[in-house]
Amino acid sequence: MSALRHSWGVLAILLAWQIWVSLAGLDAIVMPSPLSVARDIASAPDVYGAAAAQTVLLAVAGLALGMAFGTALALLCWLSRVLAGMLTPLGIVFASVPVVALIPVLARIFGYDQRTVLAIVVIISFFPSFVFTGAGLRALPPGSDDLFRVLGAGTWRRLRLLALPAAMPDWAVAFRIAGANAVLAAMVAEFLMGTGGLGHLFHAARSDLAMERALGASLVATVISVLGFLGASVLERKARAAFA
Amino acid sequence: MRRRATDIALGALGILLFLAIWEVVGQRRMLGLSWPPLSSVLEMLFDPSRFGLFQRALKATLSAFAVGYGIGLVAGVAVAALAHVLPPLRPGMDRTSAVVHAIPSIALAPIFILTLGRNATPTGLAALHVFFLLYVATSSGLAAAPAVLRDMVASLGGSRATVFWRVELPSALPTIASGMRLAVPAALIGVIIGEWFGSPRGLGVLVINAMQNFQIPLLWSAVVLAVVCSLTLYGLFGLLQRAAQERFR
Repeated sequence: MSALRHSWGVLAILLAWQIWVSLAGLDAIVMPSPLSVARDIASAPDVYGAAAAQTVLLAVAGLALGMAFGTALALLCWLSRVLAGMLTPLGIVFASVPVVALIPVLARIFGYDQRTVLAIVVIISFFPSFVFTGAGLRALPPGSDDLFRVLGAGTWRRLRLLALPAAMPDWAVAFRIAGANAVLAAMVAEFLMGTGGLGHLFHAARSDLAMERALGASLVATVISVLGFLGASVLERKARAAFA
Repeated sequence: MRRRATDIALGALGILLFLAIWEVVGQRRMLGLSWPPLSSVLEMLFDPSRFGLFQRALKATLSAFAVGYGIGLVAGVAVAALAHVLPPLRPGMDRTSAVVHAIPSIALAPIFILTLGRNATPTGLAALHVFFLLYVATSSGLAAAPAVLRDMVASLGGSRATVFWRVELPSALPTIASGMRLAVPAALIGVIIGEWFGSPRGLGVLVINAMQNFQIPLLWSAVVLAVVCSLTLYGLFGLLQRAAQERFR
C-alpha cells in the first residue's frame, strides 16, 4: 500500500504510454510499448549489463575524483583567504555554466574516447562539491570559531573538530546533486563520443531503428540514476541528523 | 567594508588570471590546436560578418529558453502547491517528478520529437528541467512556513485558502526565487540538448556543427556565447532572489 502511495504517478505514466502505443497503433520502429522494452531488456541481459557496468564505472570514478578535487580545493580555500577570494567567484561562475555545452570542447582536447567521458563527470561533480563544501566550512555556529581560537586550538584542530563536522551536511547535498547527475552526464558524453556504455548503446540502437533497445538503455540509465539519487538522499538525511 | 573590497579585488584578480591562462595556453598551443587563445575567440565573436549567424542562433535559443522556462515555472509552482494543499498526493508527486527528472535528456529528446515536433523539443526539455527544480523548491518552501504564523491565522478564523495565500506562499517566495536561479543553467542545458536532435538553428546546433567540421574558434565562440547567456540570466535572477529574500524574510 505504501509502495502504491509513492509510485502511482510513475505507474500512471507507464500505463498511459502502453495505452497510447496500442491505441495509436504505432509501429515498434517509431515507438515501442513499455512491455516490449521490458521484454528486450530481459532478452539480452548481457548486452545491457556490460553497457551499464561501463557507464556506472565511469560515473563512479568521475564522481569520486570530482568530489575529491572539489573538497580538497575547498579545504585549501579554507586555509588561505587569498586563495578563497580568488577562487570563490570563479567557482560560482563555473557552477552556472551549462556543462553539456562543454562536452564538444573537451572532446576536441582529450579526444573521442573514455577520457572525455571521465573528464565531464569529474567537472560536473567538482563544482557542487567545491561550492557547497566551501560554504559549509565557513558557515560555523556563531562564536564557535572565536571560542576555539581563544582556547588556543590550532588550525588542524579547528578544521577537524569544528569546520569539517559543520561542512558535512553541505557536503552531502553536493554528493546528492552530483550523484544524480553523474550517470546522466556520462550517458550524454557517451552518446556524443560513441565510446561504449549506455549512451553509445542508445545511439547505436537508434541508428539501427531498434527503438526497443534504445529505450531499454534509457530505462536502465533512469533506474540507475533514481537509485543513486535515493541512496544519496538517505546519506544526506543521515549526515544532517548526525552533524546538524 | 574593507574586507568586502579585498574580496572583490581578489575575485577580479582570480578571473583575470583565469583569462590570462586561457590566452597563454592558446598562444603557445600548449593543448594543441583545439584550445584557441581568448583573443581569437573574441575576434570571431565581434567579427561583423558573423553577427547574423550568432544573432539567429541566439534568438532561437533564447526564445526556446523563455517559453520553456515560463511553462516549467508555472507548472512546477502549481503542481507543488497542489501537492501541498492535498497532502495525500505528495509522496506520489515527489517520486514521479524525481523519476521523470532522472530520465536521460537524450532519451527524452527522440520521444519529444515524435510527440511535440522538432521545433518544440528544446522548449519541452527546458520546461521539464525547470519544472523539477521549481517543484522541489516550492514544496520545500511551502513546508517551511512558520507553524506559529499558520496557527495564528487559522485560529483567528482564516480559511485554508487564507493560510495558503497570506502565510505559506509569501514565506515560500525566497526559496522559489533561489530555485528560479538554479533553473537558469538547467533550462539552457535542456534547450541545447534539444537542439542537438535536429533543430534548424540555435546555439546547440552551432556547437555540434562546429565540432563536427573542426571549426575550433567557431565552436568556442558558440560555447562562450552560451556561457555568457547563462551567467547574465543567472546574475539577473540572483538580484531577484536577493529582493525576495529582503522583502519576505
